[in-house]
Amino acid sequence: MNLVRSELLKIRTTNTWWLFGIGALVTLALAFLVNAVNADISLTGGQDLEGVPADQAEQIRATASEVYQAANLFTSGQYFGLLFVLLLGIIVVTNEFYHQTATTTFLTTPQRTMVVAAKLVTAALFGALFWLVTTLLTIPATLIYFGVQGWDAHFGSWDVTRAILLNLLAYVLWGIFGVGFGVLIRSQIGATITAVVLYLVGTTAANLIFFLLQQWLEWDWISKLAVIVPSTASTLMISGTELPGNPPQWVGAAVLIGYAVVTGAIGTMIMRRRDIA
Amino acid sequence: MSDGQWSPSAGTGQIVVSGLSKQYKNVRAVDDLSFTVEPGRVTGFLGPNGAGKTTTLRMLLNLVAPTAGTATIGGRRYADLADPLRSVGAVLEASSAHKGRTGINHLRVICAAAGLPRRRADEALALVGLAPAAKRKFKGYSLGMKQRLGIAAAMLGDPQVLILDEPANGLDPEGIRWMRGFLKGLAAQGRTVLVSSHLLSEMQLLADDVVIIAAGKLIRQGPVDQVIGSMAHGTRVRVRTPQAAELTAALHEQAATVDTDEHGTLLVAGVDAPTVGRIALAAKVELHELTTERPDLEGVFLELTAGKADIR
Repeated sequence: MNLVRSELLKIRTTNTWWLFGIGALVTLALAFLVNAVNADISLTGGQDLEGVPADQAEQIRATASEVYQAANLFTSGQYFGLLFVLLLGIIVVTNEFYHQTATTTFLTTPQRTMVVAAKLVTAALFGALFWLVTTLLTIPATLIYFGVQGWDAHFGSWDVTRAILLNLLAYVLWGIFGVGFGVLIRSQIGATITAVVLYLVGTTAANLIFFLLQQWLEWDWISKLAVIVPSTASTLMISGTELPGNPPQWVGAAVLIGYAVVTGAIGTMIMRRRDIA
Repeated sequence: MSDGQWSPSAGTGQIVVSGLSKQYKNVRAVDDLSFTVEPGRVTGFLGPNGAGKTTTLRMLLNLVAPTAGTATIGGRRYADLADPLRSVGAVLEASSAHKGRTGINHLRVICAAAGLPRRRADEALALVGLAPAAKRKFKGYSLGMKQRLGIAAAMLGDPQVLILDEPANGLDPEGIRWMRGFLKGLAAQGRTVLVSSHLLSEMQLLADDVVIIAAGKLIRQGPVDQVIGSMAHGTRVRVRTPQAAELTAALHEQAATVDTDEHGTLLVAGVDAPTVGRIALAAKVELHELTTERPDLEGVFLELTAGKADIR
């Protein structure tokens, strides 16, 4: 596919990919460290659950399983990794306007739908690549860490495998969001800052709002609605075990696919109509 | 490519703009514009700043959607061309490459998308004399080098139609001369060359035909000589003399028309310079200057677009 080759070449011939790669690897190392410490606290049973509300205590106990913690470590780096993939998807689009290469791109390929499709595929491929590299690092690291601690990582069990594979899905889908986002906000700086703020602050804020609404209205299902926040959906999707009080993993996957389809479709429609001046 | 004989097998390469209009919020940038551009000739597309030249070219290339009308190249809309880069090459703005990408990689990206072989990138770069700077990043290019890279990109598919928007911008005199020879050479091979510009003296040297627009409307179209010759006044004779009144009277007797400019210089029409000299000698009038003045493209252009170049 010529257009995808061209898009991949666009990324390879600038320094974007290795800057992002370094960023993803550094944050991966940090995330792995934090998750390892969490696993240690959780699995060595050092928590004091007295005074913790019953439903929360139940959740904490559910996370204190080898499967949950192993899945969490195998998928380390997702939190920031997804952000990098999102930004890469944004840049794949906004670069064309920032560097005024959109003219050349659309002169070469007047079929704009094809161009957007190629960008979606490219962002998805880069997401998959980021997943591959981070997973190839976290698998041996987790196995070594669990081995040293004397725990079973359950590597090869369906729960763990599912978490690792759904993590791939998350990386691919976030690349697609990035492209849709970049089309909506054409300014490179504007799109980047909005995405980072929404991702880092928006997630927390949305979860807080859902929590407060639930406390206020005392409707349990409201806290489950938090899954409509994309990053919450990603986290849910890759949890190794089903957590009490949370929707099942497939709901997270469905939400993310929904967002990817919507952003991809809207992005394509806008790009088809836009005047390139 | 251009050093060989280009074969006009891919169609006529005629550009036809018909009733083209573009309405922006408050401005009708292009207003019911129609003209044709013929293969084998360089056509200058002229107009004051803001006349709608760039908008017209972008509508021709499917980058901007027209409000009304059509624009075709060889009978097809740009979006319907099976292999656009092999049919049409366009140079639209100088700064259209990623600043961190090398010149050669910029061309390779386009080759990849268009399904052209990679070596075309090297060939096109050599064609515009940019091979030594192939591996330099775009941000280190001078304006002239950027223009050459743009032309290289347009030549990748060895197209039959070339469309250039203000290609002389940023070129030094040597660069402008190179471009003139380059474009004339392409037209001589039977290709269609459409060049927008506001550098009128350059256009007079380069163009065979001109299309003049102002305020989004067609003002005049035709071969350069014809457009210049169509002006009300043809050739005039400029005369400076301390005895203007006597000479004017003598010239009137010979049915010449005489205008006087603000410095008292006479502008004589209807008779040629030797005749004016003879009349002056017969009338014993002293002459300080006797010059034939031919209207040039610039004069004609300014006259044609007078009052229509306002900011809209």
